[in-house]
Amino acid sequence: MMLPLMLAVYAGSDERALIGRLQRRDPQALAELYDRHGRVAYSLVLRVVRDKAIAEDLVQETFLRVWNRVRSIDPEKGAIGPWLLAIARNSAIDYLRSSARRERNAVELDETGHASLYRELEADLLISDQARRVKAAMEKLAPNYRTVLELAYFEGLSQSEMSVRMGQPLGTIKTWVRTALQSLRDELGVAVSS
Amino acid sequence: MNCDQLRDHYDLFALDIAEQPERDEIRDHLNRGCDVCMAGVRRSLETATLIGATAPPAQPSFQLRRRILASIGEGERWSRSMPSWGWALAMTALIVVAVYFAAGSRQYTQAAARLRDQVRDQTAQIGRLTEAFAILSGPRTIEASFGGTQPQPPQGKVFVNPSRGVVLIASNLPRTPADKTYEMWIIPKAAKPVPAGLFQSRDDGNAMHVQPGTVDVPSTAAIAVTVENQAGADQPTTQPLIVASLPATPR
Repeated sequence: MMLPLMLAVYAGSDERALIGRLQRRDPQALAELYDRHGRVAYSLVLRVVRDKAIAEDLVQETFLRVWNRVRSIDPEKGAIGPWLLAIARNSAIDYLRSSARRERNAVELDETGHASLYRELEADLLISDQARRVKAAMEKLAPNYRTVLELAYFEGLSQSEMSVRMGQPLGTIKTWVRTALQSLRDELGVAVSS
Repeated sequence: MNCDQLRDHYDLFALDIAEQPERDEIRDHLNRGCDVCMAGVRRSLETATLIGATAPPAQPSFQLRRRILASIGEGERWSRSMPSWGWALAMTALIVVAVYFAAGSRQYTQAAARLRDQVRDQTAQIGRLTEAFAILSGPRTIEASFGGTQPQPPQGKVFVNPSRGVVLIASNLPRTPADKTYEMWIIPKAAKPVPAGLFQSRDDGNAMHVQPGTVDVPSTAAIAVTVENQAGADQPTTQPLIVASLPATPR
């Protein structure tokens, strides 16, 4: 199920050449960027907002934001796919929070959307075998562990908000989050915070 | 806190669920260019990105691609995802349009070009306003006024957000000579001014300038504006017309 989606976001070795073309304001490069990552971005945003029309508006906003900010990404070492996905996710969570009038104490999602953080990431991360392994690893997690990761990533809930949503003590939620991340890393064969 | 104490929190930071004080500490390390934290957070962001890619696959509408290209003032080009009947339909439409235009006048082309320019301008404007709104609405945004006590002042405010950038809103700006432009500067407390973009005022003397990006607010003394040559300068070459001193913030 996951493979076609991953293949749809073809990102080859010329991913970084694409950044250069975007920085030179080549509109066709934006079309290619959409062809590579549009479906994954849309799938992610739809998973968050659960409304097709709103998801399309947010994906459009995401690509426009990338177009406007593309000069901030390193053309030599930047990974535009992961960066785009972070912007898409942040836009969707922002929408979710504003529509639910949910505010969190001084949390600014944009801090994980800075282009400088997307240097030296694997350029074809989204089509690598890692993506399928994460999917498989997520499915192997105990339901409560998978739930906390999904609530954090796809619904933008803080650990306190998860505690209320799941009716569990905050300490339990923190333990579940850490264990879930640890299990995910173990499953992927990566040491925690290696 | 040192990097060793923060490493267990990189994953939480990447998921936007790190708590205080670790979240601010990691942000400070990143703003300082800490290589250890930068590498750790990048690894965690890879995992977070991959979690995002596990969303159930969904197919956007055929129009979305065209909408995105139109939003940057670019018409749809031949899409590799267009079905074969789409090609036939498109070719037929193209022939009809070609015949129509061959018989028509150049005014349609000119009108289309004008509209395209307008769309491009408006898109850029919307992009700028979106950035400005994000800065103005950020919970960690601080503001500073300038020009309040001068007799003939440019007056206004600057808004500075550590993770989103700077917005300057000014009025009473004198018109610059034809070969000059305004340049904004971020003035660190103990380093050279950092260029923060060029802008022009409108005919009524008002201006809004947005400079997206991160700002190390505790290390920043002021935001300033000088008049420079059209191409801008690496360092100020004239006396600042605007200096907005930032309030002291705890590091």
